Amino acid sequence: MPREAEVSVNERAFILEALQENIRLDGRAFDAFRSLELRFGDEYGVADVQLGKTRVIARISVDVTVPPPERKFDGVFQIVAEFSPMASPAFEIGRPTDAEVILSRILEKAIRRSNALDTESLCIIAGLKCFALRADVHIIDHDGGLIDASCIAVMAALQHFRRPDVVVEGEKATILSVREREPIPLSILHQPLCVTFSYYEEEEIFLVDANLAEEQVRQGEVIVTMNRHGEVCQVAKYGGATIDPLAILNCNNIALQKVKDLSKLIQKRLEEDAKQRDVGGLLAELSAENERPMEPPVG
Amino acid sequence: MGPQAVLSHLHRADGSATYAQNGYSIIGSVNGPIEVLRRDELPEEATIEVNIRPAIGVGSPKERHLETLIHNTLRSIILTRSIPRTLLQITLQVRSLPEEDASTGVSTSLTLLPHLLNTALLSLLSASIPLSTIVTSVLLAIPANTSTPVCSPDPKELLRAKPIRSIHVFAFSGDRRLLLNESDGTFSYDEWEEACELAEDVCCKEEGGVGLGEGMEVDGPQDNMESWLRDVVKRKVEQEQRWRTAD
Repeated sequence: MPREAEVSVNERAFILEALQENIRLDGRAFDAFRSLELRFGDEYGVADVQLGKTRVIARISVDVTVPPPERKFDGVFQIVAEFSPMASPAFEIGRPTDAEVILSRILEKAIRRSNALDTESLCIIAGLKCFALRADVHIIDHDGGLIDASCIAVMAALQHFRRPDVVVEGEKATILSVREREPIPLSILHQPLCVTFSYYEEEEIFLVDANLAEEQVRQGEVIVTMNRHGEVCQVAKYGGATIDPLAILNCNNIALQKVKDLSKLIQKRLEEDAKQRDVGGLLAELSAENERPMEPPVG
Repeated sequence: MGPQAVLSHLHRADGSATYAQNGYSIIGSVNGPIEVLRRDELPEEATIEVNIRPAIGVGSPKERHLETLIHNTLRSIILTRSIPRTLLQITLQVRSLPEEDASTGVSTSLTLLPHLLNTALLSLLSASIPLSTIVTSVLLAIPANTSTPVCSPDPKELLRAKPIRSIHVFAFSGDRRLLLNESDGTFSYDEWEEACELAEDVCCKEEGGVGLGEGMEVDGPQDNMESWLRDVVKRKVEQEQRWRTAD
């Protein structure tokens, strides 16, 4: 299997020198994301994210299983991110690269362990039946920033997804099909999003959303996950070079601004999509969901 | 409605294509010729690797089976001997399946197969891999109540025509030779032959204006896979050669 082509010495010097002069290769500001496009599929729970040249598709699917005996009241939620040779010939099926391991670990920490999804709401009958939710992340095109793009895709897909309604009578649960009852949205507790900072030149320069060439010449990265209320879900640092604690605090401030912008964009796209589906304003009538306050209380 | 195709839209892969028909949407990419692992290296021909990735979950024996079928079909049209000791990596990612796919009561791997083959060919064309000929593929279903085969049926049509007695997948090369046939269900030889002839008409262009498919013209412009393919490639070449024609 071929290795990922490394940037040449000249190219490396060029990128670093340009950064010293406050110029990025594509002319962006240091703290600017590439153009972000978010599209939803025809089905519920498919989000197609295009971040510059990076493209990620997340797909949510649901199944009914027996909950694990140690967590009787919880449903199952799983995020699967597997690289394929489509994104880069260096990715081999069945042999995860470091980037793949880091991606799945960060997604796990950022979304699953931060309780973004209320898994208790996936329980149908305690100890007997629950929904098993699965998020498949497909990397279609790779030009850096996979973690940020995947996190956006999974969160957007989770918010877009609707699960079928169930009717429980004693020990008998009936799953109602889409035709019988309007499917209901998942209960999302908060929306964590990742912002990756790449640092260069002994932590003098921090870049948001580095592309592949910039990722290859960086000294290290700091991945900050937070929601739009400023609650930090996780901070991870990879790469050998040391970093000043104050710089991390600064990263958090920038990340908050970025996360707010991203959440706003996701929200806007979700509303646009809802409007498109809601032909003739019938959805409000069909909805089987109880009204809940949208904003979770800020601690 | 005929299939839709977008070529060369991924920037990392050497060739790529997105293909959509009847609710099936598949993204294909080809990397090659690239360096091959020592253990896979063949001294006189290129190694072909086909990966099919389902929309949900990881690959199962169903995908492995489809990979084998596609691998064998493509090996007979790719000029592997002109690029020996290299690797051709073909990745097919199923993007979406129609909702009704699982409830039609027919083998879901057969309904997917022609779309995968067509996507693979488009990606190979986009990557400019040397081919000896093209391959076009089509699905045919024979419902239980009639014996006339339905050509590339919509999953909704399959639901309505339920029960389906047999389904067939045919793939033809550019010179009208049958490259692949997978059939499922009960059928007689005559039925199979009829289906095969119909598939040939749909897949291949008419030879020298002889009205082989005259019966088809009656129900509107029948989609012909080869002319559709030519059209897609023509559009792509026109797009790429714009700089020449512009004055």
